[in-house]
Amino acid sequence: MKGRATAWLWAAALAVYAFLYLPLAVVVLFSFNDSLLNAEWVGFTTRWYATLFADEQMLGAAANSLLIALTAATLATVLGTMAGMAMQRWRSGLLRCLPFLVLTPVAMPEILLGVSLLLFFRQVLDLTLGLVSILIAHITFSIGFVAIVVRTSLAMLDESIFEAARDLGAGPWQTFRRVTLPLILPAVLAGFLMSFTLSIDDFVITFFVAGVGVTTLPLQIYSMIKVAVTPEVNAVSTLLMALTLTLIALAARLAPDALKGRM
Amino acid sequence: MTERRSARHAGGPGESLTRWLVSLPPTLFLLVFFLAPALLMLGASFREPGDFGGLAPARQDGQWNLSLETYRFFFGDWIYAEIFLRSFLVAAATTLLCLVLAYPLALAIARSARRHRDLLVLLVILPFASNFLIRIYAWIIVLGPADLLYSPFAVIAGMVYVHLPFMILPLYTNLEKHDPALLEAAQDLGADTWTRFRRITLPLSLPGIWAGSALVFIPVLGMFAIPELLGGTGDILVGNLIKEQFLESRDWPLGATLSILLTIAVLLLAGISAWAGRPRRSSP
Amino acid sequence: MRVVRRLALLLLGALATPAHAEDVLYLYIWNSYLSEDTVRRFEAQCQCRVNQDYYSDNEEMLAKLEAGATGYDLVVPTGFAVETLLRKAALRPLDKARLPNLANLKAEFREPWYDPGMRYAVPYATTVTLLGYNARRLAQLGLPTDTWALIFEPRYLEKLKGKVTVLNSQRELMAAAMKYLGYSVQEIDPARWDEAKRLILRAKPYWATFSNSTYIKDLAIGNIWLAHGYSSDMYRAQQDALEAKRPFAIEFRTPKEGAVLAVDSFVLLKGGQRPDLAHRFIDFILDGTNAADVSNLIGAGNPNAAATPHIRPEIAGNPGIFPPPGDLRRLEMLRDFDPKTRRILSRMWTEIKVR
Repeated sequence: MKGRATAWLWAAALAVYAFLYLPLAVVVLFSFNDSLLNAEWVGFTTRWYATLFADEQMLGAAANSLLIALTAATLATVLGTMAGMAMQRWRSGLLRCLPFLVLTPVAMPEILLGVSLLLFFRQVLDLTLGLVSILIAHITFSIGFVAIVVRTSLAMLDESIFEAARDLGAGPWQTFRRVTLPLILPAVLAGFLMSFTLSIDDFVITFFVAGVGVTTLPLQIYSMIKVAVTPEVNAVSTLLMALTLTLIALAARLAPDALKGRM
Repeated sequence: MTERRSARHAGGPGESLTRWLVSLPPTLFLLVFFLAPALLMLGASFREPGDFGGLAPARQDGQWNLSLETYRFFFGDWIYAEIFLRSFLVAAATTLLCLVLAYPLALAIARSARRHRDLLVLLVILPFASNFLIRIYAWIIVLGPADLLYSPFAVIAGMVYVHLPFMILPLYTNLEKHDPALLEAAQDLGADTWTRFRRITLPLSLPGIWAGSALVFIPVLGMFAIPELLGGTGDILVGNLIKEQFLESRDWPLGATLSILLTIAVLLLAGISAWAGRPRRSSP
Repeated sequence: MRVVRRLALLLLGALATPAHAEDVLYLYIWNSYLSEDTVRRFEAQCQCRVNQDYYSDNEEMLAKLEAGATGYDLVVPTGFAVETLLRKAALRPLDKARLPNLANLKAEFREPWYDPGMRYAVPYATTVTLLGYNARRLAQLGLPTDTWALIFEPRYLEKLKGKVTVLNSQRELMAAAMKYLGYSVQEIDPARWDEAKRLILRAKPYWATFSNSTYIKDLAIGNIWLAHGYSSDMYRAQQDALEAKRPFAIEFRTPKEGAVLAVDSFVLLKGGQRPDLAHRFIDFILDGTNAADVSNLIGAGNPNAAATPHIRPEIAGNPGIFPPPGDLRRLEMLRDFDPKTRRILSRMWTEIKVR
């Protein structure tokens, strides 16, 4: 009985994985397809990778995207975790408004967020646009995602654990480091991954806040819409996924404990 | 102001300091980089469009040039409200489908061996490290031959695909916290698989469902690229309407008004559902 | 606001503007609007670097500049957008003494309505909004290829149901409808707008979708048989189909009722740091061999007379790209509407989409 239920569960899970990877298979497959059109399989080639490696602008954009996504996701995860904890623990005074402050950027249409940030950066702060403006924008729209997940995870915890930690003489930082963080780590990791994909994929907001000479992969790819997207884009997407996988595997090897959720 | 802080937290003298250290950085960041810019746009919704785009001056000839004209235009007929309603339906359908697809996957990951979990979560997110546009083009290639392209079906499929991780991850982080002892106890009492799921797992996962639903439902409303690239001649959502105001008819006040009304509607809905689905905290 | 500003500045301390360490010309331009070869030749000649940022639509560029983005020396707007920038006093006048090659421009492009006396804008490339089609399919169906009736008349559309796309653009689709009805693209008479709306709504059920970009691939693959779009995109679809050895050819031509002409020009932004380099660049592009590049690269029309001998004959001889004088007379450029009209048009567009 139990075995059958588990089998069904995994069958369903595998079907959903297949759904997630179906278009991806098309992307990877066609990055090796010897046809500009990408409509049908013509023959194997690596010429799109050759084109890509000669295309400094595309590679530069990909490097920018990766750098921005990693940095923005890290900072958003830190700030979002703080916000999530604050939302869960303190619900008095002005902090009662915090959930609104956190949720509204998620609810705000991205074009409005982009235009308003650009107006604010240029006309209020008189700031030169560049990597920093993109970073700030990406952190702004990611915080909410992290905070909501972290808060949900915290709500599941039995608060007597914190009491016990305190009774044993642990300070707030120690309690966080040794008790809270290990328990909410899956949520923090999930928040990081969500922020990462939000950042690496964002076109609209980045379009507005990007500065002269700073371009990201989505900006580069969207500008190609007018001249038709070539399989070079499939190649760079494939490469980016491989790189992401490598980076995370590397992180897992360098700091296995941090990723495993046990300190 | 009522002090509702529980006795547990009122404890040490460091509590107040901790409270500030934890809540101030994100609050400050959002106040400066979200609320201040957003207020600019709130102001924009009361202004007039400039002759060549942007905004007309707010103050002209010593007179304030602000009005509710754009709001009046919005509420002047049913058409914009109809698009709002339609978008909410699409968002609801997307959320529901995401939930149905995400639940088994999240549950399977949460029940797998601890050492495999991170890898399985990573596999969920990996496709999303490729590029958004290229994934949509891949869907065009997949759906094209099946004659499903340029239809509401294609829009929903694209929406579900793009937002699925935002349902899977919150659900997973909730499900992995469930205590297996509860299920075992229920089994010992003779509850079958379905009963255990219905009576224990599902109610306990409600906070995860709410969180995931919020993270799917809300972003769907602002999405314009998917209806534009995968939809047919009738697929227009609020996101498209807003984009059009900024990037086609250069009507910033209307764009701002639409966005603000959408945000208010979403927050109201979030408030209602948070109230309805409030996690009942166990009292000690 | 002061406090907010202070705080934000504090948080942004690290962000100082790096001074121009080298000679760089900043271009804000469509992607693939300059061949890499042209850029390299200019960089060698001027001992400087050319930096290109891209947009894919005039409106994107206008919105970004409107909100205060700066740092670009040159942008390449279409006629109506030149007028917009000009009226907003965002442009720097040309120093014609530094542009001896200006003489290369064709006479018909020297007196544009948006820039009388050519004081700000130097025409660079032209595009016509027209119909592109799968030549084999349309011949099989026995359909004409030179009239807007193809996308508006149910008697033709019945044979093309689900195989037609039109531009997802209020102005362009209205312009096509207006031209078909025999009016000007600038028409603002409500009765005639209503007529156009009814025409569009009658045809809409036969269209597959509104598309601004995917039609290039759809045409080349064969999913779509007829598309309303830009001549340079149709050229691209044609070349793609050719290269992929599709069993059909993509062709395009200007409907006999007339169509929209877009002229893209180089303009100098007031905020640009290097007008010297910008002028050198424009004059370099105005040279016939360099000017021809954009036509050879993307199949754009060319306002430069000296470029003609350097343009590949199949492009120079294509009437869809280089309209013959008879066609040219029937082409119109789009002009901006005032804010009120824009809002009414947008409202009507929404209705068209919803119905």
